[in-house]
Amino acid sequence: GKNEYDLLVIGGGSGGLACAKEAAQFGRKVAVLDYVEPSPQGTSWGLGGTCVNVGCIPKKLMHQAALLGSALKDAQHYGWNIAQPVHHTWSVMAQGVQNYVKSLNWGHRVQLQDKKVKYFNMKGSFSDPHTVRGLTKAGKETIVTADNIVLATGGRPKYPTHIAGALEYGITSDDLFWLKESPGKTLPSFILYVSLECAGFLTGIGLDTTVMMRSIPLRGFDQASQMASLVTEHMESYGTKFLKRCFPTKVEKLKSNRLQVTWKNTDLGTEESDSFDTVMWAVGRAPDTKTLNLETVGVKTNSETGKIIVDASEATSVPHIYAIGDITEGRPELTPTAIAAGKLLAQRLFGQSSELMDYDNVPTTVFTPLEYGCVGLSEEAAVQCHGSDNIEVFHAYYKPLEFTVAERDATQCYMKMVCLREREQRILGLHFIGPNAGEVIQGFALAIKCGATYPQLMKTVGIHPTCAEEVTKLHITKRSGLDATVTGC
Amino acid sequence: MGWEEAQARGYEEFVRTAQRYHGRPIFALFCGDKDAEGRSWCPDCVTAEPVVRKELHNLPDESVFIYCLVGDRPYWKDPNNEFRRNLKLTAVPTILKYGTPQKLVEEECFKAELVRMLFTED
Repeated sequence: GKNEYDLLVIGGGSGGLACAKEAAQFGRKVAVLDYVEPSPQGTSWGLGGTCVNVGCIPKKLMHQAALLGSALKDAQHYGWNIAQPVHHTWSVMAQGVQNYVKSLNWGHRVQLQDKKVKYFNMKGSFSDPHTVRGLTKAGKETIVTADNIVLATGGRPKYPTHIAGALEYGITSDDLFWLKESPGKTLPSFILYVSLECAGFLTGIGLDTTVMMRSIPLRGFDQASQMASLVTEHMESYGTKFLKRCFPTKVEKLKSNRLQVTWKNTDLGTEESDSFDTVMWAVGRAPDTKTLNLETVGVKTNSETGKIIVDASEATSVPHIYAIGDITEGRPELTPTAIAAGKLLAQRLFGQSSELMDYDNVPTTVFTPLEYGCVGLSEEAAVQCHGSDNIEVFHAYYKPLEFTVAERDATQCYMKMVCLREREQRILGLHFIGPNAGEVIQGFALAIKCGATYPQLMKTVGIHPTCAEEVTKLHITKRSGLDATVTGC
Repeated sequence: MGWEEAQARGYEEFVRTAQRYHGRPIFALFCGDKDAEGRSWCPDCVTAEPVVRKELHNLPDESVFIYCLVGDRPYWKDPNNEFRRNLKLTAVPTILKYGTPQKLVEEECFKAELVRMLFTED
């Protein structure tokens, strides 16, 4: 055609890169625009998107750093002579993590070059439905035209701008992972899984950490609040402070350069304040659409969230313009779904496929100190969908073998499985709190995709001794009211 | 001032050479030793070297290109040699930007565009 490229992808993150590379496999002419607007605090990063630079990867590595701290404490019980207390140096961890992230940035650059995908480090905006204007940091302009355009610019953390001092003095996850020096005494504010995960590893490496929450933890996850409460209870018992039903009213800078945070305690109706080295906001993420110029070409967005509205084939309201990943309305904000959607989209556009992305039963895990992994419906969603009389909830409190000798508290180690009550008793959802939750849940995601039933699970032999085997032994129902504590083997 | 080339044989000489140019961007190509006829025991290094040399004019100003012969084949095959242990090299040829995770290994070194990207990318 008259357009320069077959495909232009705006956004070089999980979804964008997967889509671009897949399209290039079909021999198509593909270009990728990627640009990172520095955070208000000035933090910026390379190619790869949120996951690689300020999300999954650095988060999991820092979570691992914290877990190793716990392991060092346990080690004494297993015979190791390790002087306590053990100390952690932020800068050593940060350098290791940041170097790894940079190697991933480079790896993506090499891959794009190798697959003949044209890469522009530019911010893109629409001039017309097939034309995008790219602008470099220095202001140099390049015009790119394409038959098909995929929007994959993801999201950025929101700031509670109505709180005085929030923007000037607070940081977000964008900045946390790139700090060269320790954040010190930190206040990650509000509750989303991001803030719990960050608070978790900050506490784990020995920092004085407080989480302030206005209402309920882990909004969107298992709303019975059961799983969320267990996760936060565990964090509390391990040293994270929680200021519940409180919200900040202002942040001021002190002469010492520390930050004074003032908040309202809605329970007591009082105003309180304390000083911190770092205040981190985790109040949600906003789609990165402002500079795309979507109105010019008529791409419709959700008026409340600002996210791009797409149909089952990831198509927007404009025929040849598509959107994938965090920027899209109603989709999970996860790397694997963005990658899969991107690949399938490229296959449909250039590979004669008609397969659509299946967003059902996507497994996921929150990497808090005691991890929470789940797949399928939450208990509440199942009740809403089928009625509480038509579902059965099996549950168990268990103790990981490794916790015994180490004298670790396993009070919050818990799992529950939601099943249909009638006929073949299909498993609707599985929820697991414990070590390595992500590893445990992954395999069960396949089971649920295949329509596994409770009787099939009961016929599945467990691997001993593991935590995962307790899933195959679930038999106490919530309905029975019986004690759900697993006894020895 | 453009770029300049330095040569080194073996790990210690490489480290000394790199230290001498501390503060300037350093790129290094690691190859297997050459025999009396100037042929390396490493066939991939024989392929890579002319490709890399053709791209040297893209090096940024002030930078240094260190051409380093790592040793003979038995030395290289030893999993504990200093290049593997300290510089984390996994193969020859390797071309890297010293002090960064940016590097190209084996067949990647045969591709002129990748070498050019290594020399010119930030």
